[in-house]
Amino acid sequence: MSIKRWARLLGGLAVVLFLGAAPGIVSAFMVQFLINLFMMAILAESWNIIGGFTGYASFGNVAFFGIGAYTTGVLLTRVGFPFALALPAGGAVAMLFAAAVGFPILRLKGHYFAIATLGTAEMMREVVYNLEFTGAGTGLVMPILRTPLTFFYLMLAILAAVTLVNWWLSQSRFGYGLVAIREDEDAAAVMGINTPLYKTVAFALSGAFAGLAGGVYAYWITFIDPDAVFKVIITVQLIIMAVFGGTGTVLGPLLGALVLSAVSELLATQLATLAELFYGLIIILVVLFMPKGLSDLIRQGGLSLRYFARNLREYRI
Amino acid sequence: MKRCGFGRRWLGLAVVGLVVTATTAWAADTIVLGTAISQTGKYAREGKFYVDAYQMTVDAINKAGGVKVGGKTYTLELKMYDDQSDPNLCVRLFTRLVTSDKVNFLLGPYSSGITIPASSVSEKYEIPMIQGGGASEKIFDRGYKYIFGTLPKAEFYFQSAIEAATKMNPPVKTAALLYSNEAFDRSVAEGSRQWLKEQKIEKVYDEEYQPATQDFTSILAVIKSRNPDLILLAGHVENSLNFIRQAQASDISPKMWVFTVGPPTADFRKTLGKAAEYVYGVTPWLEDMEVGGEIFRSAKEFGKQFRERFGYEADYHVASGAADVLAYKFAIEKANSLDPKRVRDALASLDVETLYGRVKFDPTGQIAMGQVLIQIQDGKLVPVYVAGKMVGKPLYPMPKWGQRK
Amino acid sequence: MLLLQVLVNGILLGGLYGIMAIGMSLIWGVMNIVNIAHGPLIMLGAYVTFWTFTLWGWDPFLSLPVTILSLFVYGYLLQRFILNLIVRAQLFLTLLITFGVEVVMVNLARIFWSSDLRQVTPSYAAANFAVGGLTIPYVRLWVFVTTVVVSVIFLLLMERTRLGRAIRATAEELRAARLTGIPVGHIYAVTYGLGAALAGAAGAMWGMLFPITPIMGGALTLKSFVVAVLGGLGTMMGAIVGGLVLGLAESFSSTYIGPTYPNAISFGLLVLILIFRPTGVLGRGEGR
Repeated sequence: MSIKRWARLLGGLAVVLFLGAAPGIVSAFMVQFLINLFMMAILAESWNIIGGFTGYASFGNVAFFGIGAYTTGVLLTRVGFPFALALPAGGAVAMLFAAAVGFPILRLKGHYFAIATLGTAEMMREVVYNLEFTGAGTGLVMPILRTPLTFFYLMLAILAAVTLVNWWLSQSRFGYGLVAIREDEDAAAVMGINTPLYKTVAFALSGAFAGLAGGVYAYWITFIDPDAVFKVIITVQLIIMAVFGGTGTVLGPLLGALVLSAVSELLATQLATLAELFYGLIIILVVLFMPKGLSDLIRQGGLSLRYFARNLREYRI
Repeated sequence: MKRCGFGRRWLGLAVVGLVVTATTAWAADTIVLGTAISQTGKYAREGKFYVDAYQMTVDAINKAGGVKVGGKTYTLELKMYDDQSDPNLCVRLFTRLVTSDKVNFLLGPYSSGITIPASSVSEKYEIPMIQGGGASEKIFDRGYKYIFGTLPKAEFYFQSAIEAATKMNPPVKTAALLYSNEAFDRSVAEGSRQWLKEQKIEKVYDEEYQPATQDFTSILAVIKSRNPDLILLAGHVENSLNFIRQAQASDISPKMWVFTVGPPTADFRKTLGKAAEYVYGVTPWLEDMEVGGEIFRSAKEFGKQFRERFGYEADYHVASGAADVLAYKFAIEKANSLDPKRVRDALASLDVETLYGRVKFDPTGQIAMGQVLIQIQDGKLVPVYVAGKMVGKPLYPMPKWGQRK
Repeated sequence: MLLLQVLVNGILLGGLYGIMAIGMSLIWGVMNIVNIAHGPLIMLGAYVTFWTFTLWGWDPFLSLPVTILSLFVYGYLLQRFILNLIVRAQLFLTLLITFGVEVVMVNLARIFWSSDLRQVTPSYAAANFAVGGLTIPYVRLWVFVTTVVVSVIFLLLMERTRLGRAIRATAEELRAARLTGIPVGHIYAVTYGLGAALAGAAGAMWGMLFPITPIMGGALTLKSFVVAVLGGLGTMMGAIVGGLVLGLAESFSSTYIGPTYPNAISFGLLVLILIFRPTGVLGRGEGR
């Protein structure tokens, strides 16, 4: 690898170490905020694999999050596994689910794919709602772990891992294959890329990380019910974060998660009942004025009215 | 791109850190009660009852001289966030209240489903939380020490209704049980099965439905075919409204039907109009009950003040919320300290009469209170059965829809 | 007897679902916009009906033209000045922006009209008649009839009028339509306006049967997805067919399997249809 790549990797490592030291410096509340931030960033980055690189905009990624959460939850509470086993199991089950479901669904394109994934997520919610051993509507209550730092480092580690995977995609043949599928799937197939396999692997990777995030979430928040972990708005939030930062880039979704989480937290505490309204306005403005995300904004040289005006006109009828 | 990206990240973190960790400084002689409660989202209606109740009680206590600790007088203050009916956000807001806003004590959110995770926060940080909006045993069966609740056990909700049913003339012989797939309602249903068995009433229907269900016509068709004397519905207010309306449209009219949550609230009667007549409900509190204590000398006085200030009638949610705030005043003064552990112990041994009734928590932290069976007669709530006795005349059996005046 | 009642319930429910989904089917099929703001449009229609009923005593069936017109205007403006700006963007951007519109609409409704439950209660709201052991509520029957009538009207509109032809031409090939002089921005706006008007009509019907709140739209959007896809996107009669399929499926599954299953079944149906026959029961053309 070139010097530049090494420098980037080391820089990333430095940031991770810095963040790792954060709990000693910042308040307990900040630690909670960061845990949530890392979680959204993981979800955004994992969506990026299938949505950003491969161009298959899945609207059901919350299904993987929920499956990971419930798998870990059920293993913790009903089966009595230790967390060290329950968590990877959550990720694994989510990954297998993604692969299994991906097989028929990835044959669809565009809107149909998006709605099919949305339908899958909703269906999983209903399934969990109906089963006794997942607690049905009452939900599952986890034992309390009184060391919040465990969750902090877990989320940080998973985030580092998924970002690394994104980085690897941006450099590897497999990643280029995904991009080829995004740009022109038929041409990619003609060139010899096994598109169904590539897509399914991307989907499964996406699912695995989302599932891991879900598993940690379940233990952290100590209580899950179907509505909380299969919410459609979680998917929308993670997509808007990826869009805001820049889909298909390595750091974009992370940046997007950072900024939008902070904004959302600020709104929730300062504006209370108006918070959601403003969030909706932000979504509209972002899609209209900077659909290519912060990454693109930075690359074009920063804030300029002309940039925004150009974006406004680019996709119109 | 690399430098810009990382530089921005540090800058971003710093800005966020500054903004978000800024802690508010409270005035020296105040006791702050913090809560995250549903002001928007699916529980917004009920959340408002608590917001108003907390506010009015805090003001009343301050007006009556505040809270006395160690010879000093403290004023109560409220710090309220909106949890948007979202358990995840609620947990984070409670964590913020404890770690960043550094409030003294916590008041609960609304609904069992949200209270269960929220109480884990109070337990983790060992700060008392008193809540008046969650009744499911799942809140109290984890061995937690810092959670207290002023709503009586969910499993007992329909006990008085079912007992009363056997004392009607002619007595109820068959019943249908319908409940929502949620913590509280499932608890109510579990208890109801036991009471029905005890009273030897035959259960001809026992089904669960999804909370978001709007269309009950299929359920109603099946219930109609089984023809029960009594229908018990444990669900959200919207469910009850839909059920009653659709029962009317399907011409279904049992001898007696009882609903959770809805009937005691004023807008339930307003929304249904005439269709609300003959409906039974259960409530641990009524405005004309003969209960009272410090600050609010009687339930009636409380109800009057509340109505004058907020423009709607108080129901048991409101009274329960008021009791939560009052419990803190008494416990803090009893412990003569602001130390969370001492106040917690004082709460555990509290036994005091209030506008809500007798506030005494059992070892798990839940209050023990009977439910009064009420019936809506002529737009008013009439107590019919309480503590094993018929105390009012029920209009029984319910006339068929076509025969109502 | 129970079986027959369940069947009738399912059919009547299907009518309600059908009229709910026509608007979405039109917008999706013609403009390829998945309108997440569909639910809030229904909600708006319900509120318009509620306010005209409460403030001026207008019967909800009679105030239908007002509801339809006001929603049409709203939809037209929304498309013309906001949505037209991203029509050619990638699909998830259009999904995102309609989601943003949804959030804004729901919150504005909450701010202006509060979260209190509202209901339209004309005197005949619960009226019903009995025939052969079955009980049939009048309002549901009229809703079913209205659905059929509205569907036929729109079918005629799309097949027999110049406007309909312009809309279909624009749907088929945007550039060609523009070249032949069709004002595509205006046509798109008209299409969305029509979709919104249909949603508004559905809202008027819905408001008579169920409580009205600002957040009622979310679940309705999801249901409309299922109905629209089941029946076939873009086809006018598809919505009724999809509605009937879903209504019957829900009615039967609720009765014979259990009341907690209808949603699971409807989403399962959605996924299955998308996998095996994405164009739906009546659809034509490719979906893959």
